[in-house]
Amino acid sequence: MWKFLGKRLLQMFFTLLLFQAVTYFLIDAQPGDIADLLSHDPSIPPGERDRLRAELGLDRPPLERFVKYIGNFYTGNLGVSFNEYPRQVTDIIKERLPRTLVLFFTASIISFWAGFISGKILAWRRGTFIEYAATIAGVTLYTVFTPWFALMMIWLFSVKLGWLPAGKFLNPEVWITAPVSANAVFGRLIGTGFVGLTVMLGGFIISNQVSRKMRTPLRVASIIVPLSAALLYWSLSGLGIWGGDMLKHLVLPVMTVTLIAYGGNMLLTRTSMLETLREDYILTARAKGLPDKVVRDRHAARNALLPVWTGLVFSIGRSISGGIITETIFSWPGLGLTLLNASLVADIPVAMGALTVIAILTLVSHLVADIGYAFLDPRIRY
Amino acid sequence: MTMPTNGLTVSTATRIPLWKIRLKLAWRATKTSWATFAESPIGLIGLGVIIFFGLFALAHPILMHTVWDSSTYDPQMGYDMEIAFHPANPSARHLLGTDPLGRDILSQLMYSTRYEFVLGILSAVVTVVIATTIGAAAAYYGGLIDAVLMRLADLVIMVPFLPILIVLSSLTEVGMFELALLIGVLSGFGGNTIVIKSQALSVKVKPFIEAARIAGGSDFHIIFTHLIPNLLPIALLYMMFVVTSAIFSEAVLSYFGLTTIRMSWGIMINTAQTQGYLLRFDTWYLLIPASLAITLLCAAFYLVGRALDEVVNPRLRSR
Amino acid sequence: MTDNVLEVKNLTMHYMTRKGPVSAVNNVNFSVARGESLGLVGESGCGKTSIALSLLKLLPDNADIKQGQILINSKDIVPLNYAEICKLRWKQISMVFQAAMNALNPVYTVEDQILEAMQEHLPHLSEAEMDRRVDELFKLVGLDPKFKDQYPHQYSGGMRQRAVIAMALSCEPDIIVADEPTTALDVIVQDALLKRIRKIQEKLNMAMIYISHDIAVIAEVSDRMGVMYAGNLIEMASTEAIFHHPIHPYTMGLMSAFPSIVGDKTELTTLPGEPPDLLNPPTGCRYHPRCPYATAICSQEMPEYREHEAQHFAACWHPRGEV
Repeated sequence: MWKFLGKRLLQMFFTLLLFQAVTYFLIDAQPGDIADLLSHDPSIPPGERDRLRAELGLDRPPLERFVKYIGNFYTGNLGVSFNEYPRQVTDIIKERLPRTLVLFFTASIISFWAGFISGKILAWRRGTFIEYAATIAGVTLYTVFTPWFALMMIWLFSVKLGWLPAGKFLNPEVWITAPVSANAVFGRLIGTGFVGLTVMLGGFIISNQVSRKMRTPLRVASIIVPLSAALLYWSLSGLGIWGGDMLKHLVLPVMTVTLIAYGGNMLLTRTSMLETLREDYILTARAKGLPDKVVRDRHAARNALLPVWTGLVFSIGRSISGGIITETIFSWPGLGLTLLNASLVADIPVAMGALTVIAILTLVSHLVADIGYAFLDPRIRY
Repeated sequence: MTMPTNGLTVSTATRIPLWKIRLKLAWRATKTSWATFAESPIGLIGLGVIIFFGLFALAHPILMHTVWDSSTYDPQMGYDMEIAFHPANPSARHLLGTDPLGRDILSQLMYSTRYEFVLGILSAVVTVVIATTIGAAAAYYGGLIDAVLMRLADLVIMVPFLPILIVLSSLTEVGMFELALLIGVLSGFGGNTIVIKSQALSVKVKPFIEAARIAGGSDFHIIFTHLIPNLLPIALLYMMFVVTSAIFSEAVLSYFGLTTIRMSWGIMINTAQTQGYLLRFDTWYLLIPASLAITLLCAAFYLVGRALDEVVNPRLRSR
Repeated sequence: MTDNVLEVKNLTMHYMTRKGPVSAVNNVNFSVARGESLGLVGESGCGKTSIALSLLKLLPDNADIKQGQILINSKDIVPLNYAEICKLRWKQISMVFQAAMNALNPVYTVEDQILEAMQEHLPHLSEAEMDRRVDELFKLVGLDPKFKDQYPHQYSGGMRQRAVIAMALSCEPDIIVADEPTTALDVIVQDALLKRIRKIQEKLNMAMIYISHDIAVIAEVSDRMGVMYAGNLIEMASTEAIFHHPIHPYTMGLMSAFPSIVGDKTELTTLPGEPPDLLNPPTGCRYHPRCPYATAICSQEMPEYREHEAQHFAACWHPRGEV
């Protein structure tokens, strides 16, 4: 296993390097550069442009510049933003990345879990009206035009029902009197969420090991305890209003991305289940006199999970794209919106940095998915 | 000379040309495939929607030459001077209203349809050509070629479409044709190759490939005459999904304002946004027809793809 | 009064297909006594697997039992619902499937899958007792118990087949239905397995229905034999009687299709024609189009399945060619 991991990480590194090379040279091949941009004003004498270029090191051969770029990259220096000069790119990314991660992870996990469960139940009830209707709903969610869907969500929950804000990260009016920065509050939100979820997960895992009687009360406790602890913490720390405001702004984007990713997972699970049901071991399970749900969950679904898990790799790509679109529509300042805005104004360092970070995120997700698969399928051992 | 076999007599004198036999078999295969395809309602619905949009696209030049006069109804240049305020609500003159620049929405919708088809099909064809060739080559030759091509595929999969397209469109002018090519190349070298390669691997080990090789067929001949035709059903299947992806990507990019396309469904929504009408729901006709068109056409190709999946993969059939 | 574990009375069954109903099992009657081994032989598509599946009510959704009774330990299972039949399955009657290669779930260990059955039907056993039982079962079928916590893909074909048999025995059923369990194995493994199956059956005094298209195999393991053709049970007698005094022309044809290694070299006969299409079965006796002794009545009326000699049943208008 470790040998595999080592080999794989090395592969990932080289692929990333190759990716960076391709993008760097692609961008470099475009006519014009920052020196042209900066010296656009016709009243600047032409000599200035060349001097600027030399100063910025743009007259060195491309390979040398690339090597320098890579060297900088891997020592943590991603350059300086053209647009928000002189803010460091790493700084911008550090601020925006956690937000996108929250969006991405929450949506991926919930949509996978919900999609799998509903897909499995639907495949079991093949031919009924519910299956038909739910499949149509799934296809709709999968193919709906994402910006339109996001706008519809805003219209429903914000304009019509007035429950949630229409976009943005926070409500500036509420934050005028805030004692700490938005990033600090967000950081704490993430922290609380992470700790709370770990406790909950731990509780559930333990509950599978204890006797049947203790199981349900333990599960209920592992939901209630972290929840109340979190609420207590936030109200006592005095930052409750601002944390709550941020949370309110989080709900709609997360819901949108989750729903969009859900469709794909549900449909894939359903297809996978239908294929699995043809296998001989399902007939054996029935012949053993096992209850219907056990055959469905323990035998069929557990095997149907394998292709769905593999499909997770493609679903991740769609989640990221969907996340970008959602961030744009909601004006939610995550990495996706940053990427788009940087591209619109040709802020190359930021665009490159954001793109590379997204690439790293994708690579890591693939690795996690592949390792996870080894745990699920005993026939695969690295 | 006739030889009795099981009561039947076979004359060894007749010879039917090979191409006729092949044609007959192909026709029979198509008929049974169609029968299977037609069994699933979703396939037919998808096909119906596609045909509808096809007719929709065809109707536009007819209308422009007969009922509609070009100064008012031209999708890019038209302006209706008889109505005071644009965008105008739907009326008898403009069934779906007009956009903020005074152009008829229905006309725009119809006009864009043909480009959506062209875009989708062009992307799909490019993808299939690339993916099939690469997948077959990687499977057939194995070794270094396989390793390199697979690493390339990993590279392409690595970042999802949209971010790459966003960054690329900030660098060059992306029009309809360039976009189709871009999407085609990205899809072709990416995930589709891996799927086709695994299918090619399972075909490669079949006895008839071995037989062809023993009979002296060159590599080129084997790949193109034997391997690739067996990959076409799966390739056709994934083609559908590429079309969906292409139409969707174009719409998103145009909506973000990153393309240089003059008129498409995505551009229609972009116009609505740049003029500030997007979140208003009294001007629903600026957003909904275009969005609905995108959703329906994407869904249609996806449904056809799913129905084809049942034809290609018999285990999914409901009986 | 013989103690019959299984009694099948007038079982008739269709499959509903796109083209219409396919008559798969037609008015089949037989019984299996406790500890007895019955062999069912016939060509592909003659209905043997359909009968096997009916015995555990594992028929697919498009199958329809038109009439008949299936009595397991004197209880008719045809009208039972899902929950009720689940209690019977594996505990009173279990099954070893055809091509058991895939009968084991690839993501669970072999041990877990056997334990699962026991936990469902023998919940009163303690964990230690169940573990001991698994070891015993493994030894019984000729597997080393140290392999029990491995996964199915780590077993060879023969090992997997033994594991499936062990699983079928786990809840001490009164009768096991084995549907071509050794067909997919090479002859040497097949031989070893057959001998072991016979030993197990005798040792546990367990009833067994052994289904195969291979008469030689059936002859080795069965006390009695039933011959099926096109959905009908056309002959049933002790194995000896079937081999030495077959009554039905089809059985006669089957018997003479074998080369004998003793005695004179006789010409091998083949049965002309093909099995009928069960969508439109022939009228009257379904064998009459191929039967050399067929007369008018054979094409008009289905012959009665009756006892011709002691414990020797057949359905034919012209037993042994008599007119």
